[in-house]
Formats: sequence, structure tokens, C-alpha cells
Amino acid sequence: MKLRQTLLASILDLCLGAFLLSSVWRVVLPALTDLPAPPFGLVDVAAMVLAGSALIVIGRATGGSLGRAFARGALPDRAIGRRVTLHLGWLTFVVAVLTGWIVTEISPIEFFSGNGLSGAGRIFTALATPNFDIIGLALEAMVVTVFTAFMATIVAVPIAFFLSFPAARNVMSGSATERSIYTALRALLNITRSMEPIIWAIIFSVWVGIGPFAGMLALVVHTVASLAKLYSEQIEDVDEGPIEAISATGANRLQVLWFAVVPQCLIPFLSYTIYRWDINVRMATIIGFVGGGGIGTLLTQYQGLSKFHEVGTLVIIITLVVWLLDVASARVREALK
Amino acid sequence: MTPLIEIDRLSHTYANGVQALRDVSFSVNTGEFLVVIGLSGSGKSTLLRTINRLIEPTHGSVRFDGRDVTHLTGEALRKHRAQIGMIFQHFNLIDRHRVLNNVLYGALGRTSTMPSILGRYTAEQRARAYRNLDVVGIADKAESRADALSGGQQQRVAIARALMQDPRLLLADEPVASLDPATSHSVMQYLERINKDLGMTVICNLHFLSLVRQYATRVIALKGGQLVFTGTPEEITDEWFQTIYGEDAREVEIR
Repeated sequence: MKLRQTLLASILDLCLGAFLLSSVWRVVLPALTDLPAPPFGLVDVAAMVLAGSALIVIGRATGGSLGRAFARGALPDRAIGRRVTLHLGWLTFVVAVLTGWIVTEISPIEFFSGNGLSGAGRIFTALATPNFDIIGLALEAMVVTVFTAFMATIVAVPIAFFLSFPAARNVMSGSATERSIYTALRALLNITRSMEPIIWAIIFSVWVGIGPFAGMLALVVHTVASLAKLYSEQIEDVDEGPIEAISATGANRLQVLWFAVVPQCLIPFLSYTIYRWDINVRMATIIGFVGGGGIGTLLTQYQGLSKFHEVGTLVIIITLVVWLLDVASARVREALK
Repeated sequence: MTPLIEIDRLSHTYANGVQALRDVSFSVNTGEFLVVIGLSGSGKSTLLRTINRLIEPTHGSVRFDGRDVTHLTGEALRKHRAQIGMIFQHFNLIDRHRVLNNVLYGALGRTSTMPSILGRYTAEQRARAYRNLDVVGIADKAESRADALSGGQQQRVAIARALMQDPRLLLADEPVASLDPATSHSVMQYLERINKDLGMTVICNLHFLSLVRQYATRVIALKGGQLVFTGTPEEITDEWFQTIYGEDAREVEIR
């Protein structure tokens, strides 16, 4: 193995050993014995390092180690190594499921208890007997949500369009400067995309105040990042032939992009955009929970007041609209193919 | 008289290490119909692309009309390309656009960015586009979408687009390789007419020797990136054929 692979494998094995030991020692055993885990201290750190080192040593001796398998991208060649790797894999899986069960406080008793079931009965009854007196208010809020999503898409599309070209590898392959712009832009888009719209909504609700405008801004940021990525991947996928042909006429770079690349991308771009609007309607609903306005905000208000008959009305409307948009956008996208 | 093109000890190695051309030298005079033959991967396509500089060769030089164009960049490179028309095996039209627009794109090299993007072509350019469609006999298709046309028709549009450049040289990279035999002859005849009637120099990559014998005024052959034969079509004997295409090759006729 190469040095870099060995290093990566060792780090992974160290982490894995630490995870296995601390899971068993601090989560599984205390839950089984009903004793609280002792306060975290130097001893724990030492034990974790020791466990990690043990895995590294086993890996060295037998070739069997999950870290090595991950770093190589393949199972070890020796039979003993394969067996050890497989056993370690199972062990890790079982420990992970046990730990997960405990930390998520899974409790079938609570799920099926009389108290729990009667609560479930109450809310389902309320949801099933919606209060249609608020239908006007609810539809108004739904309209706000749909338009929040629509405007967010409209504002995001031109920005994503212009960003998608410098974010496409084949457009930016000319010089070292171009390649670094490409890399930086891609990284920026990836980071922006990893931040959920709900976080952006919290930021913007402080910035411009609670309401649909904050929700729209949150969706714009996320939509720009994800559409720019989808668009740029489409650009990277275009047929090189027309690019060559237009270049051969002596056209400049902008002309090549406009006449050879853009025509090949427009239909897929449109398809992605419609799909994105569809997603934005769902997201706009969720964003309403944290101050993005529209039907989501209305829903949290009724939920806070425990007015579940009204919540039922909203749930029906949201489900209906999302379902309709889903069907409609699927049909349009199918027709665009 | 200086030759139109002088290729001197030209070599090209791609970034992935493949050496496509090795020390190739030849020249082409105005008015010739030069055909380049050789197996797939022998460097024919690379050779053509070093002439209009879609590819910058790693060694050697290309002179066009006495001027060294080997390492042109920017505006000078675009001006150089604008003088050379090119057609391709897969036509490379803009499928979703109208035939007339596809022809007009031949003028992009001489049109500035904004007017071209806004579609503001001059009346003279439009008239010329129609004339060029007429040269290849499909003026009636001007308003059709390019992808509605048959392969042979698309290649003729591509020729019209190249003519739109008013080129001094026409490069044709396997222009009939994805066409059926009858259509192949039709396209080759248009190239022949452009060569004879308009006096335009043509350099054409071809696979089929029967087409070579019929249309070429001179032939060069590449093998493994090296020039192995220069002569007239009649000089390609069976022996030469075996040398160029390998011992097991059989000649296939296209009528």
C-alpha cells in the first residue's frame, strides 16, 4: 500500500476502535446495567486510543481492517484478512445498531402504552374532522407559499444560469486561473448547498424579518446552489462536436458558448427548473415553520395552540397541492424529454 | 508560387501521452483536392485539426499562405480559423436551430458578439446564406429544423456553413463515414464541384479507396502518425495498400 493509503487506513482504524470501545463502554453497557456511565476522563481517552491501536495492529498482522479496505477500495487479498475484515464489519454494524437504538430512545412501551394510544386517537380524530371554517385563511396562506416558491425559482434561475458556465469543467479548462476559479466556485456551491434552506430561513428571518420574503430569500440561495450544479453538470455533458464546429468558424468564446453549448442545454435546464419549483413548494412549507411565512407559519401557530382540527385542514390542503404539483411537473418534464 | 499549406516536421502528443503525429512534412498547393488515408487512429483527424488550429501541435510548424500559424492565439487565431471551412463526420450542426441559422453561423468569425447573439445578421449575409444553400441544392429546406433533415442533407448544410466563411481552404474530416453509399457520392460530388468550379483547395480524410481514386488529385497516407505515402491515386498499388492498411486488409468497394 502507498504511504497515503496506509496513513488514511490507520486514522480510520483509530477512529473505529475509539467508536467501538466508547459505544460499548459508555452507551451499551450503562443501558444494560442501568448504571450511569462514569464521567468522561483521561482513562476513556487512553482506552479509546488503545482500542484503535489494537485494530491497527490486527490490520498489520492479518491485513484485515475496515480502514485498509476503505483506503484501498477493495477487500484484502489474503483469506485470513478477508475473514477478519468481514467479522469487524459485522461487529461494527451490530454495535452501531445497538448504540443507535439507545441514543434515539426507541421505546415500544411508550408507543403502545394506553396513554400514548389515547393521544394518538385524539390527534387522528381531530385531523380527520378538519375545521373548514378557516379554509379561506388556509388557501390564502397556501397561495403565499406557492408564490414564495415560484418567485424564489424565478429569481434563482438567471443567477444559476450565469454561475453554471464558470462552474463547468469543460468551459474552464483553458488555463490554471480558470481551473482554480472552477474549483473555488464548485466548492462554494457545494458548501452553500449543504446548508439546509431552513438554516438560511433562520438567517433571513433575522435579516429582513419574519415573513414570505425571508422564506423566498432562503429558497433563492439554496436553489441557486443546486440549480447551478445541475446546470453545470449538463454543460459538462454536451456533445463536443458542435463546439468544435462553431470554434472552427473563428467564433469567439462567448459565441461558442451561446451557439454550441446553450442550445444543447436549454431543454434539460427547463426540466430541472420545473422540478426545482416543485421541490421549492415543499421546502417553502417547511421553511414557514421557522418564520418563512405562508402555510407553514400558519401551521405552527395552530399547532402551538393545539388546534388540531385546524391543523387537519392545513394538512389536507398541503398534501393536495404538493401532490398536484408533483403530478403536473412530472408530466411536463416527461413531455420535455 | 508558395504552397497554400506547408507542414514541416509536425508532431503532436496528447496530454494523455498518445502520440498522434510523428514528424509529418508535406505541402499543399492552391486548387488541390488532397485526400488523407490511413486506419482509424493513424492521426488523420489530428492532422486536419492542426491546420485550422483546433489543436496546437507540440512540435514542428504549420504555415498557411506563407505565414507561420503554429502558435497563434486570441484574435489572430480566430482570424486564421475564419479563413478555413471545416466539415465533420457527424455534421455537428446545431440540431434545434433552423437550417438558415446554421449556415449563418459560418459568419460568426466575422461578426461581433452582440449582433450575432441578438441574431442581427446583415441582409448581405442572409442573401449569401441562401446562395450557399443553393450551391448544395437545399435552399428549400432553409426554414426546417436542422435535425429534421437526413444525414446527407445535414452534411450539405454543413458544407454551406463552411462556404459561408468564404474560406480559402476546406477541411473535411471523414465527411461520408456515417452516410450510405449513394449519399456518400452525392456529398463527394458537391465537394468536387466546390474544388473544380470555385477553385477551392480541399483536404479530405477518407476511408474508402474507391472514393479516393474517384475524387482525389493527390493522396497522402498516414500510418501510426507517420507519413508513409505521397502520390497520385493511381499509384496506390496493392502493395502500398497492404503497407498502409496492414497485411490482412481487403479493399472494400463503394459504388
